Amino acid sequence: MEKGFTMDQAMQEAARCLLCHDAPCACGCPAGTEPDRFIRKLRLRNLKCAARVIKENNVLGGVCAVVCPTCTLCAQGCTAAGLDRPIRIGEIQRFLVEWAWQTGFSPLRALPPDGRRIAIIGAGPAGLTCAAELARAGCKAVVFERQPEPGGMLRYGIPAHRMSVEFLGRELRDVTDLGVEIRCGTPMETSADIDRLLAEEKFDALFLATGAWGSLALDVPHRDSEDVYDALSFLMLAKTAPDGFAARVKGKVVAVIGGGDSAMDAAVAARRSGALDVYLLYRRSFSEMPGDPVEKQQAIAAGIHFVILSQPTDYVIENGRLAGIKLVRTRLDAPDASGRRRPVRMAGTEHELQADLAVEALGLQPPPAADAFGLPTDAQHRIVVRDAAGNTGRSMVLAGGDAVRGSSIVARAVHDGKMAARSILEELARRTGGTAPAVIDAPADRR
Amino acid sequence: MGKLNDLSIEFCGLTLENPVLLSSSPVSNTGEMVGRAFDAGFGGVVYKTIGKGAFEIIHPAPRMAGYDYEGKKLVGLQNVEQISDRPMEDNLKDLRYLKKNWPKKLVIASIMGFSRDEWRELAIATQDSGADMLELNFSCPHMAIEGSGMKVGQAFGLLKEYTEIVKRHATIPVMAKMTPNITDINEPAMFAKQGGADAIAAINTVSGLVGIGLDDFAPRPNVFGVGAASGYSGPAVKPIGLRCIAQMAGNPALGLPLSGIGGIETWVDVVEFLLCGASTVQITTGVIHYGYRIVEDILEGLSDYLDEKGFTSLGQIVGKALPRIVTPDRFDHARQGIASYDLDRCVGCGQCRIVCHDAGGQCLSWDKDRRRPVMDETKCLACMICSFVCPVAHPPMIAFKEVSNKPAVRPPAMG
Ligand SMILES: Cc1cc2nc3c(=O)[nH]c(=O)nc-3n(C[C@H](O)[C@H](O)[C@H](O)COP(=O)(O)OP(=O)(O)OC[C@H]3O[C@@H](n4cnc5c(N)ncnc54)[C@H](O)[C@@H]3O)c2cc1C
Ligand SMILES: Cc1cc2nc3c(=O)[nH]c(=O)nc-3n(C[C@H](O)[C@H](O)[C@H](O)COP(=O)(O)O)c2cc1C
Ligand code: SF4
Ligand code: SF4
Ligand code: SF4
Repeated sequence: MEKGFTMDQAMQEAARCLLCHDAPCACGCPAGTEPDRFIRKLRLRNLKCAARVIKENNVLGGVCAVVCPTCTLCAQGCTAAGLDRPIRIGEIQRFLVEWAWQTGFSPLRALPPDGRRIAIIGAGPAGLTCAAELARAGCKAVVFERQPEPGGMLRYGIPAHRMSVEFLGRELRDVTDLGVEIRCGTPMETSADIDRLLAEEKFDALFLATGAWGSLALDVPHRDSEDVYDALSFLMLAKTAPDGFAARVKGKVVAVIGGGDSAMDAAVAARRSGALDVYLLYRRSFSEMPGDPVEKQQAIAAGIHFVILSQPTDYVIENGRLAGIKLVRTRLDAPDASGRRRPVRMAGTEHELQADLAVEALGLQPPPAADAFGLPTDAQHRIVVRDAAGNTGRSMVLAGGDAVRGSSIVARAVHDGKMAARSILEELARRTGGTAPAVIDAPADRR
Repeated sequence: MGKLNDLSIEFCGLTLENPVLLSSSPVSNTGEMVGRAFDAGFGGVVYKTIGKGAFEIIHPAPRMAGYDYEGKKLVGLQNVEQISDRPMEDNLKDLRYLKKNWPKKLVIASIMGFSRDEWRELAIATQDSGADMLELNFSCPHMAIEGSGMKVGQAFGLLKEYTEIVKRHATIPVMAKMTPNITDINEPAMFAKQGGADAIAAINTVSGLVGIGLDDFAPRPNVFGVGAASGYSGPAVKPIGLRCIAQMAGNPALGLPLSGIGGIETWVDVVEFLLCGASTVQITTGVIHYGYRIVEDILEGLSDYLDEKGFTSLGQIVGKALPRIVTPDRFDHARQGIASYDLDRCVGCGQCRIVCHDAGGQCLSWDKDRRRPVMDETKCLACMICSFVCPVAHPPMIAFKEVSNKPAVRPPAMG
C-alpha cells in the first residue's frame, strides 16, 4: 500500500483548494461526503472536526479515501482543474482519518443501547455502514458473516498493494468500537434463516447486504482445468494465502481476461507476486475498458501487456493443465446496447497465446443462491427493492449494496447502508410513536 | 551568472560593485562565511555586530523559530540571538582577512558598546582593522544586557551621544541602524544625524512573539520553558521596512543616504527599496531561508530590470517612487471605479461571491448553473477584495476599472 500524505503534504494540497462556494466536489459523492468542508477545516487547522466531518458522514471514510475512484466522483467537477488539476481529495481524506488514528482521537460516539436489535447479513461496506449507523443511534447491531473475517470485498477482493489488511483492520475497529457485533463464520442462506432471526431471535429489522460474489464464466468448449481461475478466487488466494499465491504465479505466464477493475487488480497482483509475463486480454479498445483510468495507468506502469481487440475463443488444455488460449482479433463496429462500439471477430486472424494460468475477470453478480432468501430478484439474482432505502416488500427487511446493484463501488454500498439505517430508525420510531434520533444526515439520493 | 549590466552604486562617497549587502547577523558571522558570500556576488557585508567582550555573550538555545503560513515555510522568523559571541580579536582578524582578499567589496563593521568607552574603543579597533564603514547597532530588540541595543534606539539622547562619540574617533563613514519599534522613524534618525551620522540603516527586527506552544504555554523559540518578545524578521516585515525607508527618504530635513532592510529575498524587493529611496539593501532572513545563492537571482533580475526600463544605472531609480508616496488627504476622491471581471477566464470557484457578500459590497450574486458571479455594478465598492482571493492571476482576471461620474457607493441601512 502506498504511503499517505504527511501533515505538510496535506496542508499544501489543502492550500491549493479554492474553498469553493457551492462546491462541486460535495455533489459528486454517493456517500454524501463534503470534501470542501473537511478541506476548509484542515486549512483552518481544525483537524479534529475535519476528521469528525468525514467519519460522522461515513464510518468507512478511510477505506473510501483509499479505494474510491475519485476522478469520477468528488474530484470530477473539482474547480481547481480549471487552473491546473483537481485537488487530491482522497489523499487529504486519508490523511485526516489516519491522523485521528495516530493521535488517538475517535470522532464517533454511540448512544447507550436502548434494546432495539437489528440483524445484518454480510459484513461488507454496506452491512458495516448500516450496523455502525444503527449502533450510533443506540441499537444493538449484529452482523452475520459467512467468511472467517469481516470486510467483504474490502478484505477478500481489493488487493493488498492498494489497501493493506492492517489499514482495513484499523478502520473496522472504529466500527466495532461503536458496539457493533460481528459474528464471522455464520452464513444466513435462506428465507427460513430470515424468519428465524426476526421471529425467534427477536431482531426488530434485518438488512441484507450479501454482495455480488458470483463470477461470470467464459462460455467456451474447454474450460475444465485448475489453471483457470475466476478473478475473485484468484484475488482471494492472494489476500488469504500470499505465499501460496506467490508460489502459484512465480515465473508463470498469466493471461487475465477482461478490462475492468478486477482485471487490473488480478493482473497487477500476479505481476507483483512474481509472474513472468502478464497479459490482459480485452476484446474492445483501450478507451472502452471500464476500468478506472488511474488503475489502468498503474497496470501499464506495472508492466502488464495489454492485448486489446482480441477475443478468447477457447482454452487449450492438455492433461488437465492449461497450455494456451485461442484468440481471434476483433475490430470495432457500431455501438451496442452499452453505448460502446461492438467488437466483431475478424476471420482468418485466429492465433494462440501460450499461457500457464488464466484468470477470468468478466464481471460479478450475486450468486444464484441469492434467490433463496425468498425476496424478489431479477434475472441477475439481484434483490429488487422498492425504494431508495432498500425496502424489499417484506416488512422490516431491507437490502442494499452489491446484492441489490450488482457489482458496484464501495461509496454506493456506504450510501445504501446509511439509507437503510435511517429508514429502519424511522420505521421503529414510527411504531413506538417517537421520532428517530437525528444522528444520521440524510444523504441526498445520489444513485 | 551571465554578463550583467553595471550595477554599481554610490553610497556615502564609496562606489559599490552592487547595492546588495549581507546584514549583520548569523549570515555574516565569520570571515570564512562572508568570503563565500562575496564569491557568490554580494556587493558587501555588514559584519555581525562586534562587542568589546567585557560581558560574555552567550546565545540562548534554541535561538530562532520559523513562522509558517499554510504550508509555506519561513514567512517570518523570530530570533533571540545576541551580538557576536566570538572574541573581538577573532572578529577583527576576520575583517582584515576580508579586506585583504576582497578589496573591492564593502566591509562595514557593526558595533555595539555597553559604555561610552566601549563605543570609542570599538570604533577605533574596527576602523584600524580595515573596515570601510561603521554601523552602530542601536536596534537589537532582545539584548540580555541592560541599556543596550533597541533601548538606545528608543532613548534618542543616548543614541545621539553614542553617535557623537564614534564620530569623534572615526574617519570612515558612520551609519546608525534603527529599530522600527518606535512611533516615528524620523525622530531617532534626526537625532542620529545631529550626532553626526553619515547614513541610516533600517530596519532591525520588529519586536514580536511568533507563537505560543499550546501544550507548554511557552513562546517560540522555547528556551527551556520560557521565551521573550524578540526580533521578528523576514518577508512578513518587509512592508514595515519599506515604509520606514520611504518616510526617511521623504523627510527633506534628514537628507542622508539610506540602507534598506527587512524581508528582502528577490530583485523585486530590492527594486522597491531603491524606488523608496534606499541606495543599498541588506539581507538576513532571505539567506537563512535559501543561502547566499539568492544573490545571483537578485543581480540578474536587477540587470534585466534596468534593460527593460531603459535605465543605465541603479542610481537613476533611487527614490523614484517618492513623489507618489503621499498622505491620504491628497487622494482624488472624485474619481471612482469598479471591479471589472474578465469572466472568460473565470474557473467558477465562487470565492469572490463569498467575500463580497461577507466583507464587500454584497454586489455579487451566484449563477448556480453556469457557476459564475453576476455583478450589480451600481453596488460595487471597488474595495477589490474579490481580486485578492480570485485564484486566476497573472494577469489578474479581476482588475480595477475607473468609471467616470460614478459616485462613491454607500450600502443602505436596514429597515
Ligand atoms: C477485485 C475488486 C476490486 C474492487 N475495487 C474497488 C475499488 O477500488 N473501489 C470501489 O469503490 N469498489 C471496488 N470494488 C467493489 C466493492 O468492493 C464493492 O462494490 C463493495 O464491496 C460492495 O459492498 P457490499 O457490502 O455490498 O458487498 P461485499 O463487499 O461483497 O460484502 C458482502 C459480504 O456479505 C458476505 N456474505 C455473502 N453471502 C452471505 C451469506 N449468505 N451469509 C452471510 N454473509 C454473506 C460476504 O462474505 C461479504 O463479506 C472492487 C471489487 C472487487 C471484486
Ligand atoms: C538570528 C538573527 C540575528 C541577528 N543579529 C543581529 C545583530 O547582531 N546585529 C544587527 O544589527 N542586526 C541583527 N539582526 C537583524 C538583521 O540584521 C536584520 O536587520 C533583520 O533581520 C531584518 O532583515 P531580514 O528581514 O532580511 O532578516 C539579526 C537577525 C536575525 C534573524
Ligand atoms: S471543488 Fe475542488 S477546489 Fe473546490 S472546494 Fe472542492 S476540492 Fe476544493
Ligand atoms: S470590489 Fe468589493 S464590492 Fe466590488 S465585487 Fe469585489 S468584493 Fe464586491
Ligand atoms: S474568484 Fe475568480 S475564478 Fe472564482 S468565481 Fe470569482 S471570478 Fe471566478
